[in-house]
Amino acid sequence: MKWLALIALALASLVCAVMLGPSHVPTAELFSSPIVRDLRLPRALLAFLVGGALGTAGASLQALVRNPLADPYLLGLSGGAGLGAVAAIALHLAGPWALPLAAFAGALGAMGLVYRLGLVGGAELDPRVLILAGVAVGAFAAAVTTALVSLSDATELRNAFLWLWGGLSGASWDTVRVMAIYTPLPLAVLYAAARPLDLLALGDEPARHLGADVERVKRRVYVAASLLTAAAVAVSGVIGFVGLIVPHVMRTLWGHHHRTLLPAAFLGGGTLLALADTLARTAIAPRELPVGIVTALVGVPVFTLLLRRWTTA
Amino acid sequence: MRPAAHSPHLAGLLLALAACGSGARPPARGPIAFPDDAGRAVTLAAPARRIVSLAPSFTEILFALGAGDRVVGRTTWCDYPAAALAVPSVGDGLNPNVEAVAAQHPDFVALYRSTLDETAAAQLARLGIPAALVRQDRLADVAHAARLLGRAIGDATRGDSLAAAIDTFLAAPPPVPTTRVAFVVWDNPPIVIGAGSYLDELARLAGASNVFHDLGSASAEVSLETLAARDPDVIVVLADSTQAPAFAAKREWQSVRAVHERRFVYLVGSLFGRPNPRMRAAVAEFRRRLQAAR
Repeated sequence: MKWLALIALALASLVCAVMLGPSHVPTAELFSSPIVRDLRLPRALLAFLVGGALGTAGASLQALVRNPLADPYLLGLSGGAGLGAVAAIALHLAGPWALPLAAFAGALGAMGLVYRLGLVGGAELDPRVLILAGVAVGAFAAAVTTALVSLSDATELRNAFLWLWGGLSGASWDTVRVMAIYTPLPLAVLYAAARPLDLLALGDEPARHLGADVERVKRRVYVAASLLTAAAVAVSGVIGFVGLIVPHVMRTLWGHHHRTLLPAAFLGGGTLLALADTLARTAIAPRELPVGIVTALVGVPVFTLLLRRWTTA
Repeated sequence: MRPAAHSPHLAGLLLALAACGSGARPPARGPIAFPDDAGRAVTLAAPARRIVSLAPSFTEILFALGAGDRVVGRTTWCDYPAAALAVPSVGDGLNPNVEAVAAQHPDFVALYRSTLDETAAAQLARLGIPAALVRQDRLADVAHAARLLGRAIGDATRGDSLAAAIDTFLAAPPPVPTTRVAFVVWDNPPIVIGAGSYLDELARLAGASNVFHDLGSASAEVSLETLAARDPDVIVVLADSTQAPAFAAKREWQSVRAVHERRFVYLVGSLFGRPNPRMRAAVAEFRRRLQAAR
């Protein structure tokens, strides 16, 4: 029943995203309109895929680092992606894919660095070291980014920050195709790690005693969640709150078992972002709101309500 | 540092007195006081002799008023007239480096009016350097700035006459718009120019209508869908080259007919990147480019 409701909600969010937009498209022309076919539909699908990727990555990372504050950007990926994007603009790299590829490379660079730092203490990934390394690498990358922006003469660099704040205006069938081909693998890796992730919640030692290959699981989950996030950042910038709030909401509804939590977080994240983007496009039309602002405006009150329920229960 | 900063004042005063004696153009006598656009009272002991101009259009106006030789500091972006490039740059005009400005020992600083610059104006005031915050967002602001800067240099007559010429130009009825344009400033997210910008006015004077004239602000983020639905005849971009903008190659942008059909108009930054006294030339140039693109 819960699943049916979630799936229905997910479909409804996609229908909303396709039906509603800043320009008026008569319902009769919904299927023939180039605006719907080339702009709204790919954007709705991209929003869903990105939201789903962020929700799943967030749920996995929260289990991995055993920290409820963990979100997909905690581990320095947003800083790395931003640096990559700004460097691409500063170096005048041309081509429609220059910016997403540079952002992706930057995110992977940050991921590698944080991973390496996470192993500093020895052969084991220590969640605490991982978080600290993520924050440090993210801050460093952000500092270099700001230095680049303030030192460069290129006026367009000021606008690079707008891209960083996140948005789905770059959506096209090309980006949808890339995400649709790319995301299933890391999603499958995370889903395969669902059972060991459950055990990991008990702590490294108990999980090991219960038969989980803790080190391998941690490494796989870290890399897969980071790859998901890096792709999401590359196509849509840094969209906050989806990867933080959706896993918590889904955990209250579906419990702590990752076999159900991860798919629920995917659907929930996709639904939230598709709806948030619809709101971003239509709320103050013809102007558009940055979608990250909408996810924060919608997400934070919901989160506050949840916190109240948890603390009073 | 202080005596050095004060000597130009004295020199300025002497010059003004000398000019008074010769009786050529009656320059302002004694202290000059006027309110700036932030409502602050600006008082100069004498007509400004050492001016740091912190916006490209102020630099243009000062040179147009024949006071180019009094400009002792400019921003990195002040590239017109060519003689302005010989003036030392003090860096950015927005949120300026106050120390670099003060190092030029100015007796007057013209600042673009923005919250960022109000701090700078207060800091300069503490150093005893008079500074004016001047609006420079619309074409009429250029006339306003000409009046204000004319007073500051002790030549209100010349400032007023430049202002009057601009006012007359702006008061003439604009041609009937024949081309619908959209100014695209940035592509991801798409940012366009609205009615609050001087570019919207330039388009109107050049016989075009901005399809985003209903947006009150100078610029705004819009959906690509809105741009596609409003279907401008041409896309205007501020660029120093006529190389197609990066978004022309992006798939999602092909939904915008003018992009798909590659109908772009390129406007050079030094003439179109700010409101300036050369607006008559800018309008003529804009009109030529629009005709070539249709």
